[in-house]
Amino acid sequence: MRTVARRVLQLVVVVLVVTFFTSILTSLLPGDPVTTIAPFSSVQTRADIREQLHLNENVVQRYGIWLKNFVTGDMGREYAGTDIKGASISQRIKDTLPHSLLLMLYVQILTLLVAVPLGIYTAYRAGHLADHASNAIGFFLVSIPVYVAATIMILLFSVNSYGIHLPSEGWVALSTDPAQHFSHLVMPVVAIAIGQIAVYGRLLRSDMVATLQEDYILMAKSKGMTNGRILWRHALRPSSLTLITVAGLNVGTLVSGALIVEVIFHLNGIGYAIYDAINRRQYIALQDYVAVVAIVYVLVNFGVDILYRVLDPRIRNA
Amino acid sequence: MGRSGKSRGVRAVALGLAMALLVAACGSSGSSKADNNKGPATTKGLTTGDTGGTPVPGGSLVYGLEADTSGGWCLYKAQLAIGGIQVARAIYDTLTIPGSDGQIHPFLAESVTQTKPTVWTIKLRPNIKFTDNSPLDAQTVKDNLDHYRKDNPLFTFVFADVKSIDVVDTLTLTVTTAVPWTAFPWFLWSSSRLGIMAEKQMKSANCNTELIGTGPFILKSWKFGDKFVATKNPNYWRKDKNGVQYPYLDQITFVPQEDGPKRLTSLESGDFNMIHTSGPKQIVQIRKDVAANKLVDTESDKFAEIGYIMLNDTKAPFDHFSARAAFAYGVDRDLFNKLRNDGILTNAEGPFAEGVPGYLADSGAPKFNAETAKKYAAQYKTETGKTLTFSLSHTADPDTTQDAVLVQKMLKQYVGLNITLNPVADQSTLINQAIGKQFDATLWRNHPGADSDTQYVWWHCANSAKAVVEPNSPACDNPVNFGGFNDPTISSDFDKARAETDQGTRTKLYEDINRRFAKQLWNLWAQYTLWTVAYSPKAHGVLAATYPDGTGTFEGLAPVTRSSRSGARAVSANGTYPRDVRSEGRKPT
Repeated sequence: MRTVARRVLQLVVVVLVVTFFTSILTSLLPGDPVTTIAPFSSVQTRADIREQLHLNENVVQRYGIWLKNFVTGDMGREYAGTDIKGASISQRIKDTLPHSLLLMLYVQILTLLVAVPLGIYTAYRAGHLADHASNAIGFFLVSIPVYVAATIMILLFSVNSYGIHLPSEGWVALSTDPAQHFSHLVMPVVAIAIGQIAVYGRLLRSDMVATLQEDYILMAKSKGMTNGRILWRHALRPSSLTLITVAGLNVGTLVSGALIVEVIFHLNGIGYAIYDAINRRQYIALQDYVAVVAIVYVLVNFGVDILYRVLDPRIRNA
Repeated sequence: MGRSGKSRGVRAVALGLAMALLVAACGSSGSSKADNNKGPATTKGLTTGDTGGTPVPGGSLVYGLEADTSGGWCLYKAQLAIGGIQVARAIYDTLTIPGSDGQIHPFLAESVTQTKPTVWTIKLRPNIKFTDNSPLDAQTVKDNLDHYRKDNPLFTFVFADVKSIDVVDTLTLTVTTAVPWTAFPWFLWSSSRLGIMAEKQMKSANCNTELIGTGPFILKSWKFGDKFVATKNPNYWRKDKNGVQYPYLDQITFVPQEDGPKRLTSLESGDFNMIHTSGPKQIVQIRKDVAANKLVDTESDKFAEIGYIMLNDTKAPFDHFSARAAFAYGVDRDLFNKLRNDGILTNAEGPFAEGVPGYLADSGAPKFNAETAKKYAAQYKTETGKTLTFSLSHTADPDTTQDAVLVQKMLKQYVGLNITLNPVADQSTLINQAIGKQFDATLWRNHPGADSDTQYVWWHCANSAKAVVEPNSPACDNPVNFGGFNDPTISSDFDKARAETDQGTRTKLYEDINRRFAKQLWNLWAQYTLWTVAYSPKAHGVLAATYPDGTGTFEGLAPVTRSSRSGARAVSANGTYPRDVRSEGRKPT
């Protein structure tokens, strides 16, 4: 219970800090947001927009107003012009957040599906050719920016369709057409995952190599256990704490990766919404989106804490 | 030196009416050589590879838009940019529309007649209904026009000369103007921004999302940032010449994709069936795809918008003719076009592109001459005691920055001038600087082709004081004459041409204006913009439509364009008019 309370407190602090800094950063964006919204408007219209967006207040006051609205669930609407009802921010979050969460979930699943066996195998074969080759390929993959991977894949599998044609535009809901859903997400997921696979794989390998030096592993071998049983049953679990920690912390990286691929592949997720809000100087919407991402981030790491307890009895009993 | 292509930056801030503003720069991208281009080195007028064919009703089409429209389509409140206009054209019709002859024609209106010098009578076609089954009548049109002229910040300005709008009978109304206004019917089109909405939509609290028009499609769903889906209006009032109901398509889906290269990639991959672009780099690639029979394109620089360097004529150095002349003679536009636009654009001679009254193949605008430029730079120093220097503003994106750097290098190398560059974050900042006259020179693009009277607002001075939105223009009371020059000849000619009914006389007046610009060098013209609509070979009939009076489709692909390298936005392209496009559907994926 104390852990939950601590986590909730942490959540509040993180959200406050992140959104406040977002508020400061957005106020430092070059250009006048009013001229972005309505460049040819009259002086009166501009004054009205400033009033509505609280741009006459200082950044702290503006943040206070936003915070009050946010905690009461009033996320408001995007500003779309005088007397024009802009898009509902909460509705947009409702529309876009599931896209991003699913995307990140698929990335994590793919990453772990590849990285865990790879990490185990390279640890088992540490110092051998396979290990060195995996290391080299890993460094190569991790050095490929997401947008480069995405672009190359589009050229290969979308424009030129070498062997397989994959769509590079848009989101299809799982409930609408599962096949189309996954075919639309193959390239975005792989584009983000290839860099993560290398990182996760190397992390697991390092911990695994250390674990395999432990006495209880020697004991298991002396009992005649198979390599597979030793690696998967006895070595993996204690070796995966760092991996799990990084996987939790990595949500931030996934969000930035998701932002890029959501723009490139037009997936209309929360990352795209953030990008769009920055471009259109939708300050209030931007803070809402960032706050939601911060909440997701903290919640994921809270889940990671729970996982620690499952994986390591020492933490559970501490 | 027009610019387009990447669309990040500002969005949904168009204001332009028939004169949608296009900020940024000139020219276009390009490292690839024109030699690699399988298409023509330059485009003159309209070209299309569309072979036509017999229309087949049915199918759907996915159209890649440059941007979504955050504010929706309550048209009298909206400030639509390119993407918004494309969508608006699917849902709404306008009272008038330009045709292949470059003239304005009645559309929803059966006739628009100048019954007195200051009175226009609009007679509507009978039996047209909105998609909510309410009739199109004079009162609805009056309410629409009143909203436009009273509630839209830009149309308020444009329709300042409209005194009253009166209903005569169910299908007839009159518009009384303060001055004789020959080109008034063009403003009833206003680059497709003046669509007619149903009363129910105008009165709705959700006017921007509950769209009710008389157009060929009906809104099915719209999720901002995702897609806008519209289905066929089965009761649309138009049929083709064989009596087949328009539109042919069952459904059209508009998908925003702001990134120009990605938009093209998605067309090449079959995710889109049709896109538009003005980015030379993309156009060169499209031409290669056309040569390989992968795509079909329709290009036009008729009725084009103009890329130019706008000068602030209200202060030093460009309040001196010698400074303007040194700049004008010191830039090699041919070389610029070759280096930055792959040589595919045509140098502009004035504010009127081909097809527009007043267009001149040679207006007398200066040609590159380094020696003459040096002479004028020296003259400026003699006149003022100062060495000629200035700041060139531009949006900070890489492509436009390269344009500005090239201009800077040319002036340094050819004339010995040291100028500074002033990169700004986005188009809006550039516009803001222009409104406030906080610039020396800036890369700019504007003035898509229509009747030349639509440029009245950009160049005329002595407008109504109530139109002034920034009261800090010392030379000219017109806030959107950003350069601030006050040329009595130009203002007078615009006034005369507005009232003149003889087209020949009007054309001569606009030609005079064109020559006056070339003589006074208020701005430095760069290149006409080239717009391309590219589409799958399975789509046909982009320009095949005829209007109710038998006229063909307007050949200008950029009657409304607002774009820049940093933020392509704009276009209302008749060529992209969806109602006459049929498609065999999307490529299976």
